[in-house]
Amino acid sequence: MDEIIVAILRSGTPLVYVTLAGVIAQRAGIWHLGLEGLMITGACATILGIVLTGSLALALLIAVVLCIVGSILFWFVVEKLRANQIIAGLGLTGLGLGGTSLAVQSIFGAQAAVTAPFGLPRLGPAFGAYGALSVLVLLMPVFVFAIWVLLRRTRFGLRLAASGEHPFAARGVGVNPSIMRLVALVLGGALCALAGAELAAGSLQIFAQNMTAGRGFMGFAAVIFGAGHPVGATFAAIFFAVVGAIGIRAQLVFGDRIPHDLLLGLPYIATVFGIWLSAKLRGGARAAVGFGELRDP
Amino acid sequence: MTDRIVSVLRAIVFIGIGLALCGVIFEIAGYSAPLMFQSIADGAFLRSGALGHALRWGLPLFITAVGVAISFRAGYFNIGAQGQFYMGAIAAAFVAEWLNGWPAMIVIPACFVAGMTGGALWALWPGLLRLKSGADEVITTLMGNFLASLVLVYVTSGPLKDPSGSGQQASSRPLDAAYRISTSYGLSPTIVALAVLVGVLMWLLVNRTAFGVLAGLAGRNPTMVEWQGARIWRIGLASFLISGALAGLAGTIELMGPNGRLAGGFLPGHGFTAILIALVAGLSVAGTAFVALFFGGLASAALFLPVMAGLPSAAIDIINAAIALFITAKSGMIDRIVKFGRRAWTRS
Repeated sequence: MDEIIVAILRSGTPLVYVTLAGVIAQRAGIWHLGLEGLMITGACATILGIVLTGSLALALLIAVVLCIVGSILFWFVVEKLRANQIIAGLGLTGLGLGGTSLAVQSIFGAQAAVTAPFGLPRLGPAFGAYGALSVLVLLMPVFVFAIWVLLRRTRFGLRLAASGEHPFAARGVGVNPSIMRLVALVLGGALCALAGAELAAGSLQIFAQNMTAGRGFMGFAAVIFGAGHPVGATFAAIFFAVVGAIGIRAQLVFGDRIPHDLLLGLPYIATVFGIWLSAKLRGGARAAVGFGELRDP
Repeated sequence: MTDRIVSVLRAIVFIGIGLALCGVIFEIAGYSAPLMFQSIADGAFLRSGALGHALRWGLPLFITAVGVAISFRAGYFNIGAQGQFYMGAIAAAFVAEWLNGWPAMIVIPACFVAGMTGGALWALWPGLLRLKSGADEVITTLMGNFLASLVLVYVTSGPLKDPSGSGQQASSRPLDAAYRISTSYGLSPTIVALAVLVGVLMWLLVNRTAFGVLAGLAGRNPTMVEWQGARIWRIGLASFLISGALAGLAGTIELMGPNGRLAGGFLPGHGFTAILIALVAGLSVAGTAFVALFFGGLASAALFLPVMAGLPSAAIDIINAAIALFITAKSGMIDRIVKFGRRAWTRS
């Protein structure tokens, strides 16, 4: 049983962090499909930072700064240039995926994966079977709670929601929706960096090209499945992680009787199911027109 | 006319900004940006035979991109072209395997039918989920891409595995030479004819039929079209199926033409590039043909870079991504410049 929970926490934690980033962006009225690109940037910067500087703190700082720079770029394109959020988000993702493989190839040559000598601090033997998990796993509930408080119980959270839902009203009470969106994206960028750090250095200490494998998009789906609520979206992300863990478990149980490439697809199928279910429960996600366009303040 | 000029100018300006961003990224990653751009231009447009290579990559991209344009015109963000492309190629490969030994006159058309059906079916389920339940097609088609690449890995290492493969990368048995529609060079009269046929038929569909007009209107104002008595979901479903079938057709062409076999993760950027082509062309079928040639050149440079210039092919992915980041931007600046220019010109 412990093994299964460890597996779920290990694959679920990066997903929860990236989902929280998506939740904050969603509250500000932005459909953030660039999460995947920011997450892989965070993963790559953490591992390369550890290898090149030998300091974890410096590596995390580089990861957070790069992800924030990416978020500001995304904000500029979406907010100032009025680009379509979906296409621009996919572009940001492509920049992350391409930029990280370029960086790895330029520093290490045509190498498939980079290994770091150490990763994030672990919980340690005091936690028994859970000792191999990183501290970010333990901090996850803290982050979820803090973001719930921030979004639902503070003045800032209300202003953010107003900027997303009714920018005109927000402007009427002296809130600048454009700046609020910038703040939301910057916060989200920092969370994406943590998600990438946890993915690459939480239990593995390795960076491989395209290692996020759609987790950023799943985080985006978890936001929709969880109705944009931090706690709901967290549970949606953990649900995807549970399905993934079941798939890995099934490989051990069924052996070769079910091809393991198809079991790897279970989280993606769960994501489709989640999107379908939330559309059924809460009605269609949107009208066909104007999707991906910001509402004008 | 001014609108057309503005949109072309806008595309050029934003592609320029995107390329500048690429230069910054190249420099940060430790490459010389001028050298990189020089090598890409060589590989894409300047080396001898560049046009042939651009056509080889551009024609399948054109076919997929026309499909993308049709679903985007109808207001549906079907970004699953990559998955539909894979599923088409897989379906065609299965049929080629089953009918192995039959005359080419039967096998080749059967493969094309299978490939288009495979692509269309892979677009059908996100389409139905979208139209029946309102499930967001952006996510479902994206997940379809991941699923299709897993199916491709499974198929090439399972049912269709080439037993004589050297093991480095799993791939399917190569197609019999009689069933190939081009050599590995990838350009043949058959492929050109197919691309022209698709282009003409889809141009007619978009510009000269009630479906095309209604779909274009539905993309902008579905409520009005519904009030006029057209059935929105029928238009939507047809758009999904057509775009899927065209991506599947491109997959079949890649299988039966240049590649000759399936390999896990082959042409991973095809669908994304096709989406870009459709957007840069402003979703017009005729424009897509020209833009596809440009991106076809870039795609051929992705092979040229590592071999001839010793530079990583990821540079092309970055260029594509940067163009995607900026291509839908609407800046009022360009409109103002053009209007100002026209006023100055009419006054003089």
